[in-house]
Amino acid sequence: MFEALFYLLIFPGGFFLVLVGLGFEWLDRKLLALFQRRVGPPWYQPLADLIKLFSKEDLLPKGGNELVATLLPLISLCAVLVAGLYVPIAGFTPYSFEGDLIVILFLMSVPTLAYYLAGIISIGIYSILGGGRSLLQYFSYEVPFLIALSGPAVLARSWSIEGILTAQFTLGSFVLFQPLGFILALVGLIGKLKRDPLDIPSAKSEVVGGSLTEFSGGKLGFWHLAMNIQAVVGIFLIINLFLGWTKLANPFVAILVFFLEFLVIVGMLSSASAIFARLRIDQLAGLGWRILVPLSLAQILFVILMGV
Amino acid sequence: MSKISIPIGPQHPLLKEPLSMKIDISGEKVLGGSLRLGYVHRGIERLAQKRNYVQTIHLVERVCGICSHIHTTTFCQAVESLLKLEVPPRAQYLRALMCELERIHSHLLWLGILAKHVGLDTIFMHTWHDRELALDVMEEITGGRVLHGANQIGGVRFDLDESHFPMIYANLEKLRSQISGLLDILENEPALIARTKGVAPVSQKTIRQYGVAGPVARASGVDVDMRRDNPLPPYDQLKFSVVTMPDGDAWARTIVRAEEIRESLNLCEMILEDLPDGEVSKRAPRNVPEGEVIIRSEAPRGELFYYLRSDGTDQPARLKIRTPTLAALCLLPVQMSDIQVADIPVVLAGVDLCVACADR
Repeated sequence: MFEALFYLLIFPGGFFLVLVGLGFEWLDRKLLALFQRRVGPPWYQPLADLIKLFSKEDLLPKGGNELVATLLPLISLCAVLVAGLYVPIAGFTPYSFEGDLIVILFLMSVPTLAYYLAGIISIGIYSILGGGRSLLQYFSYEVPFLIALSGPAVLARSWSIEGILTAQFTLGSFVLFQPLGFILALVGLIGKLKRDPLDIPSAKSEVVGGSLTEFSGGKLGFWHLAMNIQAVVGIFLIINLFLGWTKLANPFVAILVFFLEFLVIVGMLSSASAIFARLRIDQLAGLGWRILVPLSLAQILFVILMGV
Repeated sequence: MSKISIPIGPQHPLLKEPLSMKIDISGEKVLGGSLRLGYVHRGIERLAQKRNYVQTIHLVERVCGICSHIHTTTFCQAVESLLKLEVPPRAQYLRALMCELERIHSHLLWLGILAKHVGLDTIFMHTWHDRELALDVMEEITGGRVLHGANQIGGVRFDLDESHFPMIYANLEKLRSQISGLLDILENEPALIARTKGVAPVSQKTIRQYGVAGPVARASGVDVDMRRDNPLPPYDQLKFSVVTMPDGDAWARTIVRAEEIRESLNLCEMILEDLPDGEVSKRAPRNVPEGEVIIRSEAPRGELFYYLRSDGTDQPARLKIRTPTLAALCLLPVQMSDIQVADIPVVLAGVDLCVACADR
């Protein structure tokens, strides 16, 4: 009973994920600032932002549905927190079962759908535009993302993340066999997180704040938290699926390696947002269906042939 | 999908100055747009009639926060031509130096804004950082980053001595290397090209119909530059080329402006080398003889037009300022069709918004 509560609230769930989520936001902002010749925020800035948001007045425009507007960010937060519970951290996972990869992929999609709903139920024009865009973007990145992530599962002949991780200990790291899948998964993750350069649904210069334009106070705080944790869970997932090297007996070394891999992927995401311009939604759809989907299909074909 | 109309402005993250556009869209497609101006009208032309000539210099400097120097220069040239006052050559060169520095920083500012609008914040940060190099030079020699107070009727209020040159040359050299790096990125970065190339091109005919000048016109293949076509000293003695591109889209405007920065850097060095010796100003009388004059000069954004009428007193009888931005802004509703919602920022940035200039 206490063990379960510990897993749920402290590690690897609740508290730990919130902490890493805030850490991720700081690291990302700091790296981006360094790329852009700025100083960047101090380490406590994400937490300070969150506290400030929660202490601010929570306004909803007339005509907005208070209940739904409150539930949507909470549902996204819950979905990503639950997903985080099932992703192994440095090889440690309290709950693992055959098929947990599919459950996590489903839970990771919940924030996107909630984001879409948040836009559609709102009465603001920018929110409606942002919501529509988020769904269009979902259809562009989700298919190559799912195909790319199923590559490791096919190669390991297991749909449990722990199974995929252990298969890499004998076969070798999957990033060596599927570099293309690794990159596609990262691109998909950028699309999922609505990060620059795929921040089309929330592009400030086009749709002001996207779906979240009319949100404020604590609700906005929950949205930000949910997105940071979604980023962390996504990165953990990619590390587990592609970057398992060997069974490390010493837990400290395992944690260190896991942390370094996390840093590398955050660095890749930050440099992507520093280097590329934002795409137009039609360009993204073209990129998704004309380039990413064929590439991911080629990757999975290669994996299937390898497995035969 | 049904037609909805989205407001851009008067307050919008896109805009640095208030301007209002109503844009009709259907899904992601833009059907048309209308423009409303006048949010920062300050009545500068009327105010000028209540002040004497010396005070008016400082008034017209505040027409625009970016191209403040060219406004005072053009005004002073208008007054000097009414006074038939010969400005010392050194003062003319120093004025031109400031004009070119101003063009450099204005174009860099614009490049940054375009990059920010397409989501390339890195270029925005870097160009605005480099822009400070030009602003530092201006601050060093005149004492002001943005409002310089550099001109007076009959000359300029500052002079260069030997101690200034190393700093100016060093900053110009740094700027030059930054610009070549920037041009390299602008010409090769695929996402930027995809976002700007072919977006709402404006034909040469439309440019002529709307009377647009400056980099926007030159990017559409209209070969017009007041520095060459109607040269005021010292531009008649300086050698430079006018950059034009045939395409008329946002990408062409980007390249034209980036190349113009290079030309301006060359001009700055040429001016510093040829800088004549002598005094920097002449004493001007308080009253200006009766008469009227039109002066046209090349502001960073295009042709700047000053009409000045004097009735023999120490106050202007009429001052008319036509800024290049107003004509360019009128292009916006023309361009706001057959584009996507995501192209709106690119089109808006493309004309180089300066609402303060347009409204006066």
